[in-house]
Amino acid sequence: MNNNKFDALKTSDSDDSDNENKDMKEEREPVTPGPGEHALQFAYTFWFTPRFPGRQASSLNFEQNIKYVGTVASVEQFWAYYSHMGRPGDLTGHSDLHLFKDGVKPMWEDPANKEGGKWIVRLRKGLASRAWENLILAMLGEQFMVGEEICGAVVSVRFQEDIISVWNKTASDQATTSRIRDTLKRVLNLPPNTIMEYKMHLDSLKDNSSFRNTDVFVR
Amino acid sequence: MSGKTKVRDIPSRRVLLTDPSQLPIDYSSTPGGTLFSTTPGGTRIIYERHELLQLRNSPLTRTPPKNLPKIAGVTSPSTTKGSPQPDSVNGQATIPEEKKCDEDPQFEMDI
Repeated sequence: MNNNKFDALKTSDSDDSDNENKDMKEEREPVTPGPGEHALQFAYTFWFTPRFPGRQASSLNFEQNIKYVGTVASVEQFWAYYSHMGRPGDLTGHSDLHLFKDGVKPMWEDPANKEGGKWIVRLRKGLASRAWENLILAMLGEQFMVGEEICGAVVSVRFQEDIISVWNKTASDQATTSRIRDTLKRVLNLPPNTIMEYKMHLDSLKDNSSFRNTDVFVR
Repeated sequence: MSGKTKVRDIPSRRVLLTDPSQLPIDYSSTPGGTLFSTTPGGTRIIYERHELLQLRNSPLTRTPPKNLPKIAGVTSPSTTKGSPQPDSVNGQATIPEEKKCDEDPQFEMDI
């Protein structure tokens, strides 16, 4: 498997600021598929961010809060983690569950993300667990067919809604973003009039908000 | 548009082989042409949803991963004593925020 690009990103991360928490900084052994296991095209890492309502939002807090869960390189390893983790529908309070390519941090500032953006789908309560599973299975199975453009996926559990996002590397690449949108609609089985929103990470950095001031698409 | 539609065969080409030596050396290519046995630009490991689901109950997935960290709310119950709980840490701040949400469904996220 060709993960060299991501290894390269890892090295360039090491000169980041000292503000990162242990989880973000820690050097980890590369994860490989076990004997007889079904290899994935890319290794992926689960991250979890519990949120504390009322606390000041900042990139620093985000880095301090984020928790490393584990990295998977095979289908079997994925299920071993997934089966022993809470489903988005069971998570309490405000929290984010991330599944990102190994070597890409789930942050706007990561070198793999800084030119990128994300598709956002807002779901009413009760739908997130199934939607999240369908989304990450499609991502792990390389169903998006956009080369190396996918960076990761996030499910954000909020008070009144749950939000699912897919991050890609190049926000300006329209062929890629529309293919991701169409695949997302297909795998989540979204009704035709579903509102989908896209937001560039550059804009998120400017307004320090993940889900406000998005570009809205209805089809 | 009117007029009869003329039946036309799908264009194809037959290559007659009279001797095994005419078979291509590379059996993954087709006589008289090449078929891609891989995706142009490289191979990818692709799984359909049902293929992944079939592997869900493999014995390897039954036991928790060795290094699975205990994280309240996601890998262990959020009621674990001593663990920070998103709801209880700042319980008082939760109420005004909920009110705010009623007014504005697109409430601010704090990434």
